[in-house]
Amino acid sequence: MILLPRGNPVKENVNPGKVNLPDALDKLRQGKFTGYLRFDFPEGTGIFIFQAGRLISSLFETGRENLIAYDAIARTFHESLKGDGRLDIYRLSPELAFSIHALLHGEMLHRGQDLQLIDIRSLLTRMRDEQRSGCLRIYSDDHIALIFYRDGKPLGFFHDGSTDIETTADTSMSVARAPGAKVDVLITRGDAEKSLADLMETANIAGLWNKEVGERQRQREEQENAASRTLEMREGERRQKTLALFQKAAQQHLGKIGVSLVDKEFDRLKLNGVPLGEGHLTGFYDNLAKAAKLVAGPSKIELMLDEMKKGARSVLKGS
Amino acid sequence: MEQLHLVLAVFWLIAGGVAFYFSIGNARVWTSIAVGFFLILLGEIIPGALPFLPGLDNPYVLTMGHIIGTIAILVMSHGFQEYYVFTRTLDFEGSKLFVYLSVVGVIIASMVFLLINPAPGEDVRRIIRVVENTNWVFLSLINIDLIRKIYLNIQETPISKGFIAFMVVFACIFLWKGSQLYIDVYDLENKKDLINYTISYYTNLGGNLLASISVGATFLYLAKLLR
Repeated sequence: MILLPRGNPVKENVNPGKVNLPDALDKLRQGKFTGYLRFDFPEGTGIFIFQAGRLISSLFETGRENLIAYDAIARTFHESLKGDGRLDIYRLSPELAFSIHALLHGEMLHRGQDLQLIDIRSLLTRMRDEQRSGCLRIYSDDHIALIFYRDGKPLGFFHDGSTDIETTADTSMSVARAPGAKVDVLITRGDAEKSLADLMETANIAGLWNKEVGERQRQREEQENAASRTLEMREGERRQKTLALFQKAAQQHLGKIGVSLVDKEFDRLKLNGVPLGEGHLTGFYDNLAKAAKLVAGPSKIELMLDEMKKGARSVLKGS
Repeated sequence: MEQLHLVLAVFWLIAGGVAFYFSIGNARVWTSIAVGFFLILLGEIIPGALPFLPGLDNPYVLTMGHIIGTIAILVMSHGFQEYYVFTRTLDFEGSKLFVYLSVVGVIIASMVFLLINPAPGEDVRRIIRVVENTNWVFLSLINIDLIRKIYLNIQETPISKGFIAFMVVFACIFLWKGSQLYIDVYDLENKKDLINYTISYYTNLGGNLLASISVGATFLYLAKLLR
């Protein structure tokens, strides 16, 4: 799970499947928005970071893979269109927005360092002395805390459960003191901020969106076709069962000519794509009885039709 | 001999009545067949039982008997053909009323034909009788084969054994009409001392009696099967 400071909520709990995301991103661009968009899906989490209207970073993280830039945007669009996601938009200060980029994309200076083996205070001092920009991620089994730096100065502290950046390091330190606590140090190089491209300028956002919309449409059609095929198959089975039952009864009472009469009258059933129901069989029974009169008496025919009606009732209700 | 003719007339009356009643109460496909057998009653009663009825010497009545006999075998053969077509294609069409009206129409047309022509003499009647019996003989054989095929197509149905009975009926009719045809072709009426005539005569009577009994019995049997 990606833990980020919430900042100032702009929109929360929006279904991204019901939003035209290219339009929304364009509005954020024109409004010189700084902050990030967080997309939560069953498949993973997507983060779009804006700095002064520029989409400087995008990430899509699943348990198995991390996608960045255009791939992340495309995947976020893809998941959004499924309609079961959640979108939250938070405004942040420009420094923090960049720090979040560092957190998500920064160079890993130290990974999983055991805090019992290193001195956290001297690490913080080193960050300050070396005028690092980036983020310290301190985590134990139960908690996580983030410390954001910009040119060696702490921008603030953030930990799970808090709603905004804090200015005191108390909670972070308490996480650091927890048994088995570890730290990751992520940094960005000094000129990285300037070199960040605006993904909205370099990527055809509308094209990515339209491609995903097309893909989604194709998938939906495929699903509908598959569902329709399944329905057709099931209906075919019902008809076959009903026909087999009629043939058996006709064979028993009228012999092979009875089976032929059943086949003929069953073929003549006009269902027009509607599932076979007992109502459709009224005409079938009448026509069959009329034809059967040429080879059998009314009592035999009545007996045969009773068997057919009883069998058809159980087949058509049971399925 | 008159008593025998009376017995024959009674049997044909029963057979014809049963056949006609059967044609009313059953499927359209039986109409032609049953009406055909009913017409035997008219065709046979008229010439056979004339001693008990008025018009004994009327050549038109006697000739109409032969013509109705011819219509009878043609109508019932048509009926069996229809039944055979049904067993092959499962398609059937037409109405009973149309069958009744058609038969009545053909009989009326035949009467008109007779009336607008000179009164039929003995020779004319003999020729018409030969035509009638020829039709009966050859169509009986054809019908036996057709009924055999129908039976094979519907042999598992309740009605199937009724068609075996029809084969027996046509075998009897073949003997009856065949012997009469033989007598007419060889003019055995004028050579009564020949054994051929005697055999043909009794075969004719026996065939007639058996046919009348088998027709009545067959339709009663069919009625039982079609209950």
